[in-house]
Amino acid sequence: MNVAALMAQDAPAVSPAIPSERVQLVTIRYRAVATARMRIVWVALGLAFFALLALVRIGTLGLSDHKTQAASLHQALLPTRGDITDRNGAPLARVFPAYALWYNPEALGDGGEPLVKSPEEVAAGLKRIFPDLDEAKTRAQLASGKSGYLRRRVLPEEANRVQELGELALEMPQETDRHYPQGSMAAHILGYVAADGHGRVGMEQVLDERLLDPSKRGEPVALSIDMRVQGALEDELQRGMKLVDATGGAGIVLDVDTGEVLALASLPEFDPNKIDAAGEANMFNRVTNQVYELGSTFKPLTVAAAIDSGSITSLSRRYSATPYRVQGHTVKDSHPMGASLNAPQMLIHSSNVVTGHIVDEMGAATLRNYMVQLGMNERPYIELPARGFPIWPSGDWQRIRAVTVGYGHGIAVTPLHLASAYAAMVNGGIWRPATLHMVKPGEAPRGRRVFKESTSSRMRQLLRLISKYGTGRSADATGYRVGGKTGSAEKPGAGGYQRSNLVSTFAAAFPMDRPRYVVVAMLDEPRGTVASSYQRTAAWNAAPIVGRLVPRVGPMLGVRPDEHRDVDISDLRAIVPEASE
Amino acid sequence: MSIVPPAVARQPWQMLIPLFVLIAFGAAVLFSAAGGNMQPFAQSHLIRFAVFFVMAIIITMFTRAAMKFLAYPVYIVILLLLVAVEAIGFVGGGSQRWLNLGFMQLQPSELMKPAIVLALAKFYDTLPIGMVGTWRALVPAGAIIAMPMALVLLQPDLGTSLALAFGGAAVMFLAGLPMRWFVMAGAAGAVAAPLAFFFGLQDYQRRRVTTFLDPESDPLGSGYHITQSKIAIGSGGLSGKGFNEGSQSHLNYLPEPHTDFVFATMAEEWGLLGGLVVIVIFALILRWGLSVALKSNDRFARLLAAGMVVTIFFYVAVNLMMVMGLAPVVGIPLPFMSHGGSSMLTNMICIGILMQVSKWNREAPRSGLTH
Repeated sequence: MNVAALMAQDAPAVSPAIPSERVQLVTIRYRAVATARMRIVWVALGLAFFALLALVRIGTLGLSDHKTQAASLHQALLPTRGDITDRNGAPLARVFPAYALWYNPEALGDGGEPLVKSPEEVAAGLKRIFPDLDEAKTRAQLASGKSGYLRRRVLPEEANRVQELGELALEMPQETDRHYPQGSMAAHILGYVAADGHGRVGMEQVLDERLLDPSKRGEPVALSIDMRVQGALEDELQRGMKLVDATGGAGIVLDVDTGEVLALASLPEFDPNKIDAAGEANMFNRVTNQVYELGSTFKPLTVAAAIDSGSITSLSRRYSATPYRVQGHTVKDSHPMGASLNAPQMLIHSSNVVTGHIVDEMGAATLRNYMVQLGMNERPYIELPARGFPIWPSGDWQRIRAVTVGYGHGIAVTPLHLASAYAAMVNGGIWRPATLHMVKPGEAPRGRRVFKESTSSRMRQLLRLISKYGTGRSADATGYRVGGKTGSAEKPGAGGYQRSNLVSTFAAAFPMDRPRYVVVAMLDEPRGTVASSYQRTAAWNAAPIVGRLVPRVGPMLGVRPDEHRDVDISDLRAIVPEASE
Repeated sequence: MSIVPPAVARQPWQMLIPLFVLIAFGAAVLFSAAGGNMQPFAQSHLIRFAVFFVMAIIITMFTRAAMKFLAYPVYIVILLLLVAVEAIGFVGGGSQRWLNLGFMQLQPSELMKPAIVLALAKFYDTLPIGMVGTWRALVPAGAIIAMPMALVLLQPDLGTSLALAFGGAAVMFLAGLPMRWFVMAGAAGAVAAPLAFFFGLQDYQRRRVTTFLDPESDPLGSGYHITQSKIAIGSGGLSGKGFNEGSQSHLNYLPEPHTDFVFATMAEEWGLLGGLVVIVIFALILRWGLSVALKSNDRFARLLAAGMVVTIFFYVAVNLMMVMGLAPVVGIPLPFMSHGGSSMLTNMICIGILMQVSKWNREAPRSGLTH
């Protein structure tokens, strides 16, 4: 009751009667309870507001891009980029830690001079360690007080000597570098890693994601190429190129049954370890990106199409070999080849005229269809990013167009196109895409059938015939049963074809009794030199490259030389006088 | 009739079940924070909860009269303990916040949080209703808050002294003191805050505030805590990295993964979903507490219950805002999840008192306006 009494003191005394005080007290109490409940509601609102704030905040944090790359200790120990190896596990590209020389003017941390000694002294000291250093430039950089690289790569012993200069501002941060232990070998296949850490040009670009993926980069990626074969190809191509002073060369070794590329070379090469302007100029890939009119190497494909389509029923059938006119153009040969030739003789002597007659009999649409089947109308199939689009005559072909395509003109494809087509021609007739990935046994792509088995079998005989008795004799490595065709095409230039500028190619397969590999060697603008007996055609420069290459790589690829085995060409000897001696 | 005995059925299960879930979840996070071991965190976490839960049940048995009788003596004893800590710290040289009880290190400042609410509830209960608008409602209450605050500030422990002020102010607010006083106090605080910032705070505390405003300015130095905590929470994504898979906590990027930053440890491994579960559970517990306060039938019980809710709420709010980068780093653990005896003790006292008020409500339902 003392509460009531206290209240009575404070309450305005309207009436001394107790009931009225009671009523007032009840009102005050009632209000107080209402206030108290309102206050609890206020607290509840504050609580709800906070809960909302927390929910929004955790939502933004949880769903935002703060998501870090998962980085476990295991991943931290992985290389920063996966290795690339050849098919046998030999390293082609790997990461290794390197030191850079970095100028950090704030290293002393006292806001004063960045260097202890004068910039002149430091620059002179660095010059003693790095004799190729531009002393004046370095001195200016040191004096400017701006941070930056002084050198991108420093050897450990050089790093020690830099330490001895006693300048804290000269820092040597560890960086990882991409190293290609084979130097420029397979440079066009591998590409390189640019300063941004991503691959360029070759498989470094294609596999970039895979090589950087933390879950996969611990495992090296094996390519289909064989380092030894690649080395031999580059060596022979380089040698052949120098002998005839060619401006460029291209070569490829392809597995006919799987489409795996064993070696692929484009010359001149570049060094992926050291990218400079000269290297960048050579990054263009002649095997997959440059298209050429590959000339007479197309003739076996034409004959195969004619046999396969049923247009040639007898190989003894003779065709006129004298120049003739087609739609206003004269088709002629480099030199007279007599009055008439049959198809095998045509291949041995490489007659444009006879090829023209064969195409005429087969029909333009038939040849075009086979060319489409061989993939000549689209970019070559390979993983590399740079793939050239063929110069492919569009629409239905005129007769003259088909005739010129028959001997490899009027159509420009990459050497890789040719290699894939030759593989289909000799492997039983199945065309498969080329690949730089290893193909496990039994997992080769099914491919598509272009030629009949019987056609393929006949073509093996014919190709062997050419390298035994025709223009490909210098490619006939003893015991390796090489079969192949030469091609020397004039390069188109301003005002028509240039007689002096040739592209000479030799496309071959071995061993012809059971073909395993296709080899294509191509030289761009070879000259007549002593080494080629002042000749510029493929028989004198491209074919010898294959002739030297096959014995080098055959044993590595499991092909043993055997002079007692060969594809049986006895049924052709009767109709090919050249083979009967 | 239910087969469940009435004594079991009438327990506040709508709070207890979320609480048990939260404790178990906290133990799981601590298990992971210890690298997949019960030792040293998870086991003691569970044991302490068991001990303090028994204590909470004992608290439940106190009658209203006993609580009213004990309010001031308890407050005075803990105030003396605070003085004792200060004295020991003075004698021993350097600052000291705790008393060693053998099985745990007791921080009297933690006990003061519920004690200050109890004392203020008692004070406003005895204060005549008509006087809540006068200075007599303010000055004694202010003294009750100011004395422990000053002692805690001397330790120096800014976070806890702010918690005491917040709890006390909340009880004053709930007691129905005029709204304009709070508005004025807020305005005065807004003016005083910059002054306190430049003249009142320790150097390290000032740095924490500037860091809070811009943690990325010094991510490896004073912004380290917040940056790493945000990375931990953010890296959890929607569903987290998985139990025992948190790299931020396991690789010691995250400071204090088992105490103040336990929420970040949890969110890294359980993701956004884990964070939502924790927030929802706290919301359930605190909502139950407020409903207890609303149902109580006298001022003392109501202030006591609401004050306890606010005390727990303060812990949760400040801790979550800190680990999510919304508040400066102050050493305040997350109730029921962080590893630490004193905070568990305080929070279980709060829970015990809430259960006690709930029991009073049940035994003596609201009876209009009478006492």
